[in-house]
Amino acid sequence: MSPNLFFLLASLLFSIGLVGLVSRRNLFVLYMSIELMLSSINLLLATFSKVLGDASGSVIALLMIGVIAAEAALFLAMIVHIYRSSRSVDSDNFTALAQGKE
Amino acid sequence: MERRLVVQGIENLLEISIFTILALFMLGGSITMIMSRQTIFSAFGFLVAMIALAGIFALLDARFLAVAQIMVSVGAIVVLSILTVLTINMREENLPYERHKYKWMFFSFILALPITLLIYKSATAMYESFKTMEAVTSKVVGKLLFSEWVLAFEIVSVLLLAAMVGAIVIARKEIPKHEIPKEERA
Repeated sequence: MSPNLFFLLASLLFSIGLVGLVSRRNLFVLYMSIELMLSSINLLLATFSKVLGDASGSVIALLMIGVIAAEAALFLAMIVHIYRSSRSVDSDNFTALAQGKE
Repeated sequence: MERRLVVQGIENLLEISIFTILALFMLGGSITMIMSRQTIFSAFGFLVAMIALAGIFALLDARFLAVAQIMVSVGAIVVLSILTVLTINMREENLPYERHKYKWMFFSFILALPITLLIYKSATAMYESFKTMEAVTSKVVGKLLFSEWVLAFEIVSVLLLAAMVGAIVIARKEIPKHEIPKEERA
């Protein structure tokens, strides 16, 4: 079995995550898209680990899982905070920095 | 000799069919995730994608990674996000009104296609076949983790601690004001 299929799957997943990140406005979907992109990089790392015959790739992917967990905790806490302060999960409502308002 | 070839062919076919099933689950889950309007359906699509990813890790002989993926990504992250979705409990009319969702998706997919091709081509140009190696068991991972990658491991542990404290501080109901000393209060 050739590694090309795994590479194809990882790049497709990355682009699906990118499309979700660009085109949706629900904060939860944005969060899951970021997670999906990180997971596709994990898949790429595991595939390279098998292609090169070196277990270090799996170890980096394992550390990446820890980073993903940290990101998930922070992002979900931020969503809860944002929802409490403004009763909305629409990312278009949070443009205060872009408009230079308080 | 001939019998060995037949066995190898059957193994190859089995691998490819398992990969196809897992990849279809993964792509279907992630497409459900970005398409569905209800947040909880997105979360379930994400769950399916993560479980299928654990299966693909197992197919790549990264056994410890597959177990870690099931335990951390499925057991902690997805469950935490489903719990948050259910806690917030948005009504359908309060969800963001995305009239041009599919149009946006179509155009951003056209924009993302070159990036996909770039990743695919640059990854496949270098390597064409798997090297034969023993399965990445927890013994191998543990040896590497505590010798070569010990610094990264420590940094990740500090990062996790900082993220935990940060999440508690951010999600707290309201930040309490400084305690006024007793003599000033009187």
